[in-house]
Amino acid sequence: MTDSDTALQDELREAQARAERDHVPDFETIWTAATAQAGIVRRRQRLFAGSAAAAAVVAIAFGLLVSPEEEWRYIDADELLETTVWSAPSDSLLPDHQFDIYEDFPVLIESTETYGGPLL
Amino acid sequence: MRDSDVLDKNPHVSRSALEAIHGQVFGWALSRSHYDPVVAEDLMQQAYVELLTGKARFDNKSSLKTFVFSVVQNLARSRYRRIASRLRLVQATGAGMAEDVVQPVEPDDSAALWRAVQELPRRQRDIVELVFCRDMTIEEAARVMGVTTGTGRVHYDRAKKALKMKLTDNGARFDD
Repeated sequence: MTDSDTALQDELREAQARAERDHVPDFETIWTAATAQAGIVRRRQRLFAGSAAAAAVVAIAFGLLVSPEEEWRYIDADELLETTVWSAPSDSLLPDHQFDIYEDFPVLIESTETYGGPLL
Repeated sequence: MRDSDVLDKNPHVSRSALEAIHGQVFGWALSRSHYDPVVAEDLMQQAYVELLTGKARFDNKSSLKTFVFSVVQNLARSRYRRIASRLRLVQATGAGMAEDVVQPVEPDDSAALWRAVQELPRRQRDIVELVFCRDMTIEEAARVMGVTTGTGRVHYDRAKKALKMKLTDNGARFDD
């Protein structure tokens, strides 16, 4: 720091001290209020953590006690093995069409001709 | 540091250490709150709550003073961000707002030096206060302000030049 910096610092420090003098609150008062507030915050955190833990326990217990009656499947293995015919899903835009994997697919694979229109 | 003095959630912080820097931290809180002592006290209390609950955790990498100043700075920022968003909401809805009747402390407005400091841009004002009035190094001040040391140095140099120029215009002499 140069001399001018020091002079500036001294003047500024004095001005600042004048500004703050008589306004500094008692440490004890603020500390006591802060301690009380911190206690409230901690109690709230404990309450929240307790509620979350209780909710988790209830959810796990519910999951263990109430098991689904039947597991839902996209593909029914029995249905696949019983038949060689597969029905395509259909609606008004897509007319019903059935495939037999032994009759239709060999023709489709071996033929070089178009099969007479769209497949489905 | 007495064992009983140490905060449960902040093992590197003691009550007596906080008490020792209380006056300086209050001064910083006061300048963060536009010299409103009520708001400054509220900021101090919030800062102590953050330390007591461990939300603000001091890991002994810097000085305690720098750390507590940063906590106050962040609390002040978030407070004014909240106030600004509420004001925008009030303006948008056209609703009225109760006037705050708290009278701010006037930091010796008659002093030319003080006026000159108040006229500085915010960052320059902050670094001047931290370095000149709070006995911090530029590195510590930059940490409190959340800028790099290089940026801190630039603000510091500009602030010094601006202050000297303003005060020289007012008749004071600052010869190097």
